[in-house]
Amino acid sequence: MSSPRTVSRLARILALIPYVLSKDGVEVGEILDRFGYDEAQLTKDLNTVFVCGLPGYGPGELMEAYIDGDEVVIDAADYFARAPKLTSTEALSLLAAGMAIVGAGQASPELESAVDKLAKAVMPDAGSAISVDVSGEPETLERLRGAAADRNVVRITYRSLSRETETVRDIEPWAVFTTLGNWYVQGHCRLVDAERVFRVDRIRQLQVVDEEFERPTGIPEPGVTYSPSDDDVMARIALSPQAAWVLDYYPVEVLKETKATTEILFHSPDAEIPARLLLRLGDGARLLEGDEVRARVAAMGRALKDRYR
Amino acid sequence: MQNVVERVLNLLIYLLESPVPVTAEDIRQTVLGYGDQSDEAFHRMFERDKDLLRSLGVPLERQALDIWEVDFGYVVDPEKYAIPDPGLTEEERVALAVAARMVRLGGTNVGLEGLLKLGGAERGVGIEPLGADLGAETAVLGDLFLAITERRDLRFVYHGAERRLKPFGMGHRRGHWYVVGQGPEGERLYRVDRMSGVEVGEERDAFTRPRRFDVKAAMSNHPWEAGSDERITATIRFDPDVAWWAGRTLGVEVPDGAPLESEVPVANRDAFIGWVLSFGEAAEVLAPEEMRDEIRARVDAALESSG
Repeated sequence: MSSPRTVSRLARILALIPYVLSKDGVEVGEILDRFGYDEAQLTKDLNTVFVCGLPGYGPGELMEAYIDGDEVVIDAADYFARAPKLTSTEALSLLAAGMAIVGAGQASPELESAVDKLAKAVMPDAGSAISVDVSGEPETLERLRGAAADRNVVRITYRSLSRETETVRDIEPWAVFTTLGNWYVQGHCRLVDAERVFRVDRIRQLQVVDEEFERPTGIPEPGVTYSPSDDDVMARIALSPQAAWVLDYYPVEVLKETKATTEILFHSPDAEIPARLLLRLGDGARLLEGDEVRARVAAMGRALKDRYR
Repeated sequence: MQNVVERVLNLLIYLLESPVPVTAEDIRQTVLGYGDQSDEAFHRMFERDKDLLRSLGVPLERQALDIWEVDFGYVVDPEKYAIPDPGLTEEERVALAVAARMVRLGGTNVGLEGLLKLGGAERGVGIEPLGADLGAETAVLGDLFLAITERRDLRFVYHGAERRLKPFGMGHRRGHWYVVGQGPEGERLYRVDRMSGVEVGEERDAFTRPRRFDVKAAMSNHPWEAGSDERITATIRFDPDVAWWAGRTLGVEVPDGAPLESEVPVANRDAFIGWVLSFGEAAEVLAPEEMRDEIRARVDAALESSG
């Protein structure tokens, strides 16, 4: 295989040439910005183009490519008048990105028309064959996105995922994102004075407070990673194959894997989450260790048996 | 690398400009960069360069030069090479670039390389706080997309069994990608991250997509609607402190402090029971009685193994 750097360098050259050919003079600055070049890389690529061409490889057969003052010039390269087709991965990636934002109800009119045009070009007869649904309530997302962009504090009434309690908190929203089917808002929570991630569908009420916050630099990449702490409840659980999906959804540690079972360590701030999980898994899982969780399963199980009497 | 980039550009130019297929030997003699190589080194180099061109989206084809199919040559049809122009405005390209930076597939931002082929876009300024992680690896999604748009058959392994599918469409819903199509036993839906060994058929236009096919309609809204169980309607009750939240999932408006009683169509009982039990003791299935039995059994089993 060729190195990824070679691949992306060639890809960029094959996109650059048709763009420059289609324009009547392009400024260096525009090319740097548009194609993500720095000046040294651009010079290097133009020098490469300059020594390539048709067999014979004399002055009359080579392409012309150089910087003239503050303009990029490419000539004698008619065979590269058009960029290569999108690969199926490129087409799908670009389309999916646009469709995700449209699906979240967060698209500008330009993005909507762009997705329409792109879909017609890359799958002319496959009209409704692709869809990206990221659910979410457009209005809430829009308000959180706006607050994060304008650095406005928001006050939320939040039902915690682990503790079944409701709290009112002021948060400084940094990012709004979706992963594994849920939307989250990441930011600084003033109630606990620490970074927190909240599930958007658990926000019962949302109010944008008329107060600006300072956005810190170096905000960590948003994600729902769970960092274990010493106060955690731990449970050692054996999963049977039909319960293996748990690995995709919960941040668990795999201890041992055999054909029949996967043994995991489940960290959680309290016993609620693992207990609910064990109840829904029925005989698909077995709790090996974890007294607090065992007690919670027993209590919840009894309460459920009362309800279903 | 410098030599590779030059050689591959020269090769592509030669192929685009040749009116007829050219043999490997011809390429070796003519294109700058291949000379002075041993047979073996040349063939290795040429194989790698062909793969490289194809990975860039170049439709490099191998064709027989005679009816006896003894000699083969290579050709790139300029018509097939050129990207169809979707006619995007600069504002539309910028909007796509912003979207590509917001969305992650397989853990990274994707789409920007493709956008360069469409002319790229100048970078805007400012913070964009919205992001979406669509999971999945892009390579297999690309293969599925190819099969769908070119109507090629698919073969893959799912839950340990070999499957065949005429893929009509694909989509992302609630964190997962699905492919929908016609299998030997009817219309089927598969979760992409559970498919392995995906193979795309050689033949183009191997089937026709139903004219009114809409992947959204084929993919159900909730996991318990997608299944092969007998379709039933379950009645469920949520206590006031979780009713508003369950209502959001079901798309029902619940007044503050009120409980929720709702009828829900179910085609996958297991997924439905799992969802109900995720509310702990704050939710109860009222009907049908068989489902209550199943929940009792599930709770007993959980108590047995973990209580």
